[in-house]
Amino acid sequence: MSDVARTTEAAAGTSSLSATTQAMARTAPRGRRSGRPMIDRYKWYEIVLLYAGMAVFLFFVLAPFIEGFLVSLKPLSQLFSTPYNFIPQNGSFDAYFTMWQSVPMLALYIFNSFFISTVVTLIVIAVVVPAAYAFARFQFGGSGILLGGFLAVNMFSGAVLLIPLFRLMRTMGLLNTYWAMIVPGAAFLIPSSIWLLRTYMMRIPRELDEAAWVDGASRLYTLRRVVLPLAMPGIVVVAIMTFIGAYAQQFIFALTFNSRSEFMPLPIGLFAFFGKQEVIWNELMAASFIGILPVMIVIVFLQRYLVAGLTAGAVKQ
Amino acid sequence: MAELSLKRVEKSFNEAHIIKGIDLEVSEGEFVVFVGPSGCGKSTLLRMIAGLEEVSAGEIEIGGRIVNDLPPVQRGIAMVFQSYALYPHMTVYENIAFPLRVERLPQAEVDKRVDAAAKVLQLESRLQQRPGTLSGGQRQRVAIGRAIVRQPRIFLFDEPLSNLDAALRSEMRIELMELHKRLGSTMIYVTHDQVEAMTMADKIVVLDAGTISQIGSPLQLYHKPDNLFVAGFIGSPKMDFINGTVSSADGTTAVVDLGELGTISLPRQSKAIAGQTVTIGIRPEHLNLDRREGEFTLSVTPNIVEQLGIHTVTYSTLPGGENFIGLFEGDPSVPEGQKLDISFALDQVHLFDQAGLAVY
Ligand SMILES: Nc1ncnc2c1ncn2[C@@H]1O[C@H](COP(=O)(O)OP(=O)(O)OP(=O)(O)O)[C@@H](O)[C@H]1O
Ligand SMILES: [Mg+2]
Repeated sequence: MSDVARTTEAAAGTSSLSATTQAMARTAPRGRRSGRPMIDRYKWYEIVLLYAGMAVFLFFVLAPFIEGFLVSLKPLSQLFSTPYNFIPQNGSFDAYFTMWQSVPMLALYIFNSFFISTVVTLIVIAVVVPAAYAFARFQFGGSGILLGGFLAVNMFSGAVLLIPLFRLMRTMGLLNTYWAMIVPGAAFLIPSSIWLLRTYMMRIPRELDEAAWVDGASRLYTLRRVVLPLAMPGIVVVAIMTFIGAYAQQFIFALTFNSRSEFMPLPIGLFAFFGKQEVIWNELMAASFIGILPVMIVIVFLQRYLVAGLTAGAVKQ
Repeated sequence: MAELSLKRVEKSFNEAHIIKGIDLEVSEGEFVVFVGPSGCGKSTLLRMIAGLEEVSAGEIEIGGRIVNDLPPVQRGIAMVFQSYALYPHMTVYENIAFPLRVERLPQAEVDKRVDAAAKVLQLESRLQQRPGTLSGGQRQRVAIGRAIVRQPRIFLFDEPLSNLDAALRSEMRIELMELHKRLGSTMIYVTHDQVEAMTMADKIVVLDAGTISQIGSPLQLYHKPDNLFVAGFIGSPKMDFINGTVSSADGTTAVVDLGELGTISLPRQSKAIAGQTVTIGIRPEHLNLDRREGEFTLSVTPNIVEQLGIHTVTYSTLPGGENFIGLFEGDPSVPEGQKLDISFALDQVHLFDQAGLAVY
């Protein structure tokens, strides 16, 4: 099953869970007459356990973010006070304004990050969609070996290949350009994306292709009019994953293949907050949060296309 | 001239020989039904005619033109799939209009043809819905609509009704027959439902493991099956078979020894069957519940009796181990576990030689 379906199921799961609790709260002692199907009903202690589990999990995931955010609100002096206070006293959003002065190129860094990730995503989508379609629908010599090869490539992280990549980039004259971060970024994200989208496309009934073929549609027409619209949720997942992946892996490529500060992405740019004497932690945190914003915006924008159950009614089950 | 003709058509998937030489002529406007047990190659044969599967050997001719290497769209066929294969992201209108969009017809023409098809199929009020919101029968009609708008020479249907419930199925069956009458086009229809085959077909093609067992009109197959396979396949409940040996065949009468059941004398000209192990067949609906003069009588003990109101069905086992089904009109009293006499007229009896071929 695809991630899409899983995300939507998870979403549906939580909402139905809260609906259950509400229903349980209303008819507290019996809890029988809620409109839930039997299989969706939980005992009160099961609900408590579920929520406790979620709370623990969420705490581990979110605690660094919360702490980071709190740090960004504190004046620098408070960060090193003993005893340490988690809650900022007379906290303010000053850091969010002063950071632009401390590091004048910050806006450019954020733009670079966004730009690199966007270009990587576009390249990956342009390559992965036709490739995944081919792997999902055509039988050709070597397709199995190629797919296996993609998995193998995935096992090497970019870091292992940094030295050879560096030499390659130098030979091709790509060092210290945007391409130095875009090309390897896209290359390392393509294989797993092909796997993901291929699995998704294999779930689109083959009869749809055949019906279109019988009606005179060419392969490309079918891809455009039938397969792409149906694969859209899968493509969106690939786009989101690629965008996030590209955002995350910029660091290592930027660090090794680029020394020009005007091409620096945010993760490298953040080093500018490391002064000679001290690290401006609060502004660093503030900049990090602002830096995450583009990713958030992209996800929120793309999420609208994550429609599950799009193939309902295609074939009789 | 035949609209469609198959000449020694064969198909192999790698090693597996699935279609083993099919010869078939279909004339214009005919409703031809392919029947056969599951896995006998009905869908494969249909997909070969459609152009979805390559032909391993032989020739397929449509309208006098060999189409072996033509893509489906140039063969003048339209296919309705076993699963409806609707495009779930498009409205009913766009689903039906799909082939016309591929052809890039002007919008006015598309409107005209889709509206005409929708009218025939009573889908006018559903045109803006998505397939996911339609019932099974409506989806089926959309799939048919998509086939109609192309105005093909030949319609190909692959078990289009197999997933509908019984009531809807008989309703759709009648709709399809009306459609055939109205359009007058050639239709080839795959099913393994005999009622569909018997009621809809002008011509039934019975397939058995990749070969044609018999071609004929429904009543021909019913009254004069060529072989044991067809005799057993056509008719419901299944024809009763009793094994025996021909003790004498003098060119006018064949005497068959049925073991404990006695001997039966059948009017047959063949002398060649003398001494052969043969099978006689009698349809359950041709049995009578009493002894009758000039008929063959045997006595059986039904172990299960089904009372359907209109019919009564009895199941029993013969001394030779064969299952023996009886179908009687109305609701006569036939208690389970009690011996009863059953008779049948000699001219209703089928005789099959040791190779399983009918002897008349
Ligand atoms: N692509 C394929 N590769 C290999 N074998 C195949 C392929 N398609 C069909 N077959 C085989 O061909 C045989 C006939 O299949 P087919 O689908 O034509 O049967 P059918 O008569 O339509 O059966 P049903 O009534 O169950 O639909 C089966 O044994 C099947 O396994
Ligand atoms: Mg089939």
